[in-house]
Amino acid sequence: MLSAGRWAARLHLPTLAVAGVVVAGWVLLSWRYGAFVLPSPLAVLHGLVEIVRSGEVWTHTGASLGRIAVGFGGAIVVALALALAAFVSRTARGVVHDALAVLNATSVFVWIVVSIIWFGLSSWAPIFTTFMITLPVVASTLVEGVESVDRRLLEMGDVYRLSGRQKFAAIVVPSTVPYLVAGMKVGFGLALKVSVVAEIFGVTSGIGYVMNYSREILATQMVFVWALVMILVMLAIDSLVFDPMARRLARWR
Amino acid sequence: MAVTLEVAGVGKDFLIPVIDSVSFSVEAGEFVCLLGPNGCGKTTLLRIVGGLEPPTRGTVTLGGEPVVGSGRHTRKVGVVFQEDRLLPWMTLRENVELVQKPLGIDGAARRATAARYLALVGLAGFEDYHPARVSGGMRQRAAIARALAVEPDLLLMDEPFGALDAQNRRIMQNEVRRIWRETGRTILFVTHAIEEAVAIGTTLVMLSARPSRIRELVRNDGRVERSKLIDGLNTMIMEEVERQQRSAPA
Repeated sequence: MLSAGRWAARLHLPTLAVAGVVVAGWVLLSWRYGAFVLPSPLAVLHGLVEIVRSGEVWTHTGASLGRIAVGFGGAIVVALALALAAFVSRTARGVVHDALAVLNATSVFVWIVVSIIWFGLSSWAPIFTTFMITLPVVASTLVEGVESVDRRLLEMGDVYRLSGRQKFAAIVVPSTVPYLVAGMKVGFGLALKVSVVAEIFGVTSGIGYVMNYSREILATQMVFVWALVMILVMLAIDSLVFDPMARRLARWR
Repeated sequence: MAVTLEVAGVGKDFLIPVIDSVSFSVEAGEFVCLLGPNGCGKTTLLRIVGGLEPPTRGTVTLGGEPVVGSGRHTRKVGVVFQEDRLLPWMTLRENVELVQKPLGIDGAARRATAARYLALVGLAGFEDYHPARVSGGMRQRAAIARALAVEPDLLLMDEPFGALDAQNRRIMQNEVRRIWRETGRTILFVTHAIEEAVAIGTTLVMLSARPSRIRELVRNDGRVERSKLIDGLNTMIMEEVERQQRSAPA
């Protein structure tokens, strides 16, 4: 049996209380300014039920996640290659550092506009944007991880004459994986936010597209519904993918 | 099998000369303790002997083969560092198994050897623990088991018990002495604690203040009474500490 206190902690009771206040405020504002500016919570809930029932939620969420999988997945692969280069060569490390600094300083909007020019009105525009924005985030944490490999452990490897490959597998990879997971977690959040923005232009599916479309047909409540879907996707992936990964990594601590 | 270690005219400069010139030889099966004031280059000398750092002058040979920086020689050396340097994501057993991989030993034999040496250092039953789950003394024991697992021609120990409390330190000294008797390995042991050196070493090498030379080489064979030996070495080390302080740049 859990005590009342434990239940309170598990349910985040104070958070629920704050949420209650926010919803109450929301209802009041919606009532004051009208459903076009701010639809009521009930209307949003109703809209959510509707898209779940029609299956529309899966079409658009699936389209967005598919693009993220390609763009973000590509970014992870390239980031791994860059981190490996930075580990093997000091010269490469400098180049990677500088290149990532430039990428980090580039605005999302630059990539959105450029990708539309290059790829036209296709899925490749949001994919490319997602790739270019998440690459520096994942790569910089990975490079940081590679640089923070304990030199004393590598020296231990030298004492016992481990080969380069053995040192890589036994020392470098395990000490870098936590950085990879942290980078992926931050990178995925960014990927979801950025790809949705890029979807406003030129594609006819995805959460970003459908949000913008809802605005155009004056269905404000659907804008809120899709925002809610995005938040739920983010929370679900965090607790189903990244949190278990982090827990697995912490096993030996 | 254990072989002779020859240190001939070894010196090292780091901007200033740290080790002037040190020569001594260690016979197979000896337990040599390297003593000296702090900062006289004991650890540096150990690292040169282990092939982790090249000397500025002189040579080190192990069984007639030259030892050079980065450790490219075929002799096997085990090192126990001041820190345990165990891989935290591996169990104690996996840590000990890992260092046998380059020797081309198959999995079953690696496992058996790991179990044998972990038992020898008193860690039977803790094989599947991760380093974070055991005490500092146990981690250092595991590091010793790892060093023994390669059947080293020479075992180097660099103040391995520096991080342990007095009680654990004494226990570990007895353990190392026992392990040395049971395995017959040649050991070079760096310490700044004279009592420790006298308690466990068969040969004591006292280094002078920086730039260091050998101040005294003592056979600890019981012919000199222990307390007298300790007193004598204490006087020596205090003289060297004073000399080092006088020569230190203001």
